Amino acid sequence: MSWLVVARKDFEDAIRSRWLLGLTALFVGLVSLIAALSLPPEGQTVGTNAVLSGGFVSLLSGTLAPLIALVIAYNAVTGERKSGSLKLLLSLPHSRGDVVFGKVAGRSAALSTAIIVGFIVPAVIFAFGPLRLDIVTYVGYTLLVALLVSVFVAIAVGWSAAAPSQRIALAGAIGLYFLFVPFWDFIRIPLQLALGSLPEWVPLSAAAISNALFILNPASAVQGLTGALLSGQFLSGETAGLQVSAISMLLVWLLAAPLVGLVVFQRRDL
Amino acid sequence: MSAIQLSTVTKRFGDIEAVRELDLTVEAGEIYGFLGPNGAGKSTTINMLLDFVRPTSGTITVLGEPVDVAGAGLRERIGVLPEGFDVYDRLTGRKHIEFAVDSKGADDDPEAILDRVGLGEAADRPAGGYSKGMRQRLALGMALVGEPDLLILDEPSTGLDPGGAKEMRDIVRQEANRGATVFFSSHVLGQVEAVCDRVGILHEGELVTEDSIEGLREASDNEATLILTVDDATDDDLDPIRRLDGVSGAAVDGTMVTVSCESSTKTEVISTLGEAGIEIRDIETESTSLEELFLSHTDGEGVVEREDGGTETADVVAPEGGR
Repeated sequence: MSWLVVARKDFEDAIRSRWLLGLTALFVGLVSLIAALSLPPEGQTVGTNAVLSGGFVSLLSGTLAPLIALVIAYNAVTGERKSGSLKLLLSLPHSRGDVVFGKVAGRSAALSTAIIVGFIVPAVIFAFGPLRLDIVTYVGYTLLVALLVSVFVAIAVGWSAAAPSQRIALAGAIGLYFLFVPFWDFIRIPLQLALGSLPEWVPLSAAAISNALFILNPASAVQGLTGALLSGQFLSGETAGLQVSAISMLLVWLLAAPLVGLVVFQRRDL
Repeated sequence: MSAIQLSTVTKRFGDIEAVRELDLTVEAGEIYGFLGPNGAGKSTTINMLLDFVRPTSGTITVLGEPVDVAGAGLRERIGVLPEGFDVYDRLTGRKHIEFAVDSKGADDDPEAILDRVGLGEAADRPAGGYSKGMRQRLALGMALVGEPDLLILDEPSTGLDPGGAKEMRDIVRQEANRGATVFFSSHVLGQVEAVCDRVGILHEGELVTEDSIEGLREASDNEATLILTVDDATDDDLDPIRRLDGVSGAAVDGTMVTVSCESSTKTEVISTLGEAGIEIRDIETESTSLEELFLSHTDGEGVVEREDGGTETADVVAPEGGR
């Protein structure tokens, strides 16, 4: 399992980076701040579900987390190619596929660690105070955010493997962020309208198109899943089928994005 | 079975031909020195051996396996010290060696490897703080993990002081005694001369000569260096001379023309220069040393360096005579 060796090395390298330590601290700080702002008046308690449902947390997990994932991962391959450490790595019995998937795994693990610490530390602190911890939902929410960052890491590493230079890797990462996070609606809505006006014989309902576009974007797919989780309908209720599709789509991203990057990377001279 | 075999390998980067129809065979168990000035195509060749770079045409086999289809498993039997590599700044020297041990599925003791390459003291410091020479030692240590059948070392003495370069050569000898094949490149004759069974000289992407050190020495004994003081000459003026049989190289520096040729060709060289309209003011002859032979094969671009630290570079066209 050569990719696991690469993943472990990448994880050990990444957790020693000041960037990641800083980000972990930032997460702990922001989650604590949001929790502190949601604290009720003396004598009352507030549940963690209410805190997580607030706009600040969804901004943090839906907007900031993908950005951080792209920043951490965009130079995973191009950076090593530029510095030359990739030569050291490929001098050892690792294939280029081991390198790409090992990096997805290692960096996802490192960033997920930051996310998990970022959510769990404040929860533990405030649990001694007026915060009622709904542990299953809280852990589930944290894991969904970890999955989201992993998908964005996979996309960024795939792009990094395919990009011919570090500058293009960075530009692509920024482009992907704007595509999936702030600008998605500008693309989704016209696309939905265009597809909605297809002739009758195309067996696609407007709802199917809307759902497909919803789960296609990892950020909105995870948003849908966390929404269902917080309303107690995770993998159940009306949207159960859509949720399963969303999870499947996230897994497809996790594998397909690095795979496409690898196909390009395979053919390239170092 | 040969350890390395290249058959009519060509590599083009855009319009530039880095390696031209290269045929090269390294037999199992030998120490092969791959010599040539910087930019001759040595690293490109080594990068092709490792499948870092794909040849434009030609075939390459390493340890009997074609490198384009062999996959990563082949590298379990190869130790590599690549050129232009970098270490992982945040990881310690020990972590690097442990990573190589895990990667190769070997059972080496990292401590022993680190001691062997002289990094025992620095093992637990992050490699980002290592000097160039220490990084070189670390990569050599990673290459030694798993007792590879073949060691490919690209300019291994880069950044090492003369003592370190000698330690490196001692390790190369030990590995060869163990039965490993060693292929190493250098632009410095002294590094190769001291340890190699056979030497190939690469110049502008072509193998210009290939022989044992003894064979090269014999060739140099039959050679003479002609040092001519002329009124004025350009490099282009020397082309007719270079075309003569028996002339292995010619260089010009101001009014000084240096020609390496077989002793019997000297008169022909002088008359050819005269026909080109160049006025010869003074003639000196010296027997050729191995260094000058190397320089002549590389049109004066090589570097010769001995263990006493003396260096002659391409800029010095006038040889001082054999040492």
